[in-house]
Amino acid sequence: MSGRRVGAITKRILQQFRRDHRTLGLLFGAPLVILALLGYLLRGGGDVPKMGIVNLDGGPLGGIVASTLERSKTVSASSVSAGDADGRLRSGDIAGYLVLPSDFSAKAQQSRTIAPEIHLEGSQPGLSQSILQAVSQSFIGLAGQAGGIQFTPRITFLYGGPSFDTLDYFGAAFIGLVVFFLVFVITAVAFLRERGQGTLERLMASPLRRAEIVLGYMLGFTVLALVQSAEVLAFSLLVLHVHNVGNVALIFVLEALMAIAAVNLGIFLSMFARTEFQAVQFIPLVIVPQVLLAGIIFPISTEPGPLQALSRVLPLTYAVEGLRNIMIKGADLTWSSLQLDLGVVLGFCVLVILAGATTLRRRVA
Amino acid sequence: MATDSYAVEVEGVAKRFGKQPALDGVSLRIRRGEVYGLLGPNGAGKTTLIRSLVGLVAPEQGTVTVLGRRMPQLAVLARVGYMTQQAALYPDLSAEENVRFFGAIHGRENGVREALEFVELWDRRTSVVSTLSGGMRTRCSLACALVHKPDLLLLDEPTVGVDPQLRVQLWDGFRKMAAGGTAIVVSSHVMDEAERCDRLGLIRFGKLLAEGTVAEIKSRAGVDRLEDAFLKLSGVSAS
Repeated sequence: MSGRRVGAITKRILQQFRRDHRTLGLLFGAPLVILALLGYLLRGGGDVPKMGIVNLDGGPLGGIVASTLERSKTVSASSVSAGDADGRLRSGDIAGYLVLPSDFSAKAQQSRTIAPEIHLEGSQPGLSQSILQAVSQSFIGLAGQAGGIQFTPRITFLYGGPSFDTLDYFGAAFIGLVVFFLVFVITAVAFLRERGQGTLERLMASPLRRAEIVLGYMLGFTVLALVQSAEVLAFSLLVLHVHNVGNVALIFVLEALMAIAAVNLGIFLSMFARTEFQAVQFIPLVIVPQVLLAGIIFPISTEPGPLQALSRVLPLTYAVEGLRNIMIKGADLTWSSLQLDLGVVLGFCVLVILAGATTLRRRVA
Repeated sequence: MATDSYAVEVEGVAKRFGKQPALDGVSLRIRRGEVYGLLGPNGAGKTTLIRSLVGLVAPEQGTVTVLGRRMPQLAVLARVGYMTQQAALYPDLSAEENVRFFGAIHGRENGVREALEFVELWDRRTSVVSTLSGGMRTRCSLACALVHKPDLLLLDEPTVGVDPQLRVQLWDGFRKMAAGGTAIVVSSHVMDEAERCDRLGLIRFGKLLAEGTVAEIKSRAGVDRLEDAFLKLSGVSAS
């Protein structure tokens, strides 16, 4: 073991990085950006879940529960009329609502049980959890006053159900994410290899049109991506039994669109990298922020305001939302929300195809 | 004027990379069926000149006309073969698959066997390129450049790493193609290769210093050896 020889390698590595400003920027800049984003996301004073209270109680207890809930900091509760509640739940305006029946006070005093109805939207377990927690807390105060009262809420779910778990929620989103991420990386690296091994130069000196190159690439990788999409989907549904009430063909269409978008994003972004090493650096810049902001982990409705706006321009947001619409809510093409999701993903596809073809021309001319 | 008897016409072409002039007012004409050698040291501008012939370099000044068509033009590239300095191949494909691919993108898929036999790789056609030796890769790269039987063949240092015996054979092949009307441009800094060309262009600092047959260049410099002529002619200009 020679200290000098080891030192020579160490020194060489530092010298290499000194010239590679982009990698340095990434090494020292990206962690701060990602952590700052995460910090803002979690502590930025995002919105709490919205819920409604339908208070039909003729007695005093309903009012106490309602006002306790309205003061709660973990949910934003407001009173709604019995007629409106279901509509607002379906439109996604509120994540759940509590119904205090007309005999609520009477029953609590006579039979010492309180049985409110809790209606949950159900597609986002995190939001449901917050609401259940806030409701049961509001009853703790009541139980303290009346003493020995049994709390047996009746919970209904608009989507999903009591067995709906975290994997069901994440699974839908990850089917899209896994395909998007892997296809993007593989395409970007393959295209850079073409540049590095000199074959791109040869292609450019042939009668091939730029659009032919991009289209050929797209079709080739799309074949791979579609097989992968089918595999991921089959595994998720048949082996993991991820909750799905929607049309499998529709899921596949959305997944395929994401794959095609990823192929072209890979081609497009590889124009801005010289080496495969630099292509990998797009992962923290392109993929990580989307994963944080696309509503995969944190519901967009609870993000701080400015981040919600950012989430709304990320294409992955719509893909994730679309997949959840189909798989959890059973959306079909007549749903306007799914039309929007598909429209945005399709538009993004077209955009990156054009971007890829245009940049290729510029780089070579 | 562009006449069809010329395969290449370069008029006053200039190109800089940053401040560094790569081509500085180069003019030359290459006839069909002619083997033209571009001779010059590393960094003289040989590769830039060849790349400008296929439209990969856009000249800042001057014009490039290839096979009667003003460049850049895509369609004419179907009749041009370009062998890059680096053996540009797909390492995961076999030799035959590589040649077939480059044939296909030039609109010709039936010359694969002939091209591979020309470079003596037909027996190794199923070998994956990453398992071939350096010299074999060079030959495979050459096969990719001529599979579509181009009317203009551009070879950027084609025989680097090729053993002397095969080099002789390749040159016999080049001469046959030239006899069939193909114009061939060969860049090189190897003198014995230069001796086999019909005409030579000496290039240095992006300028065409001298042009002519081997005999003309030797007599102009007043020396017997091409190497001495080259040093003398480029030395005169450098001072």
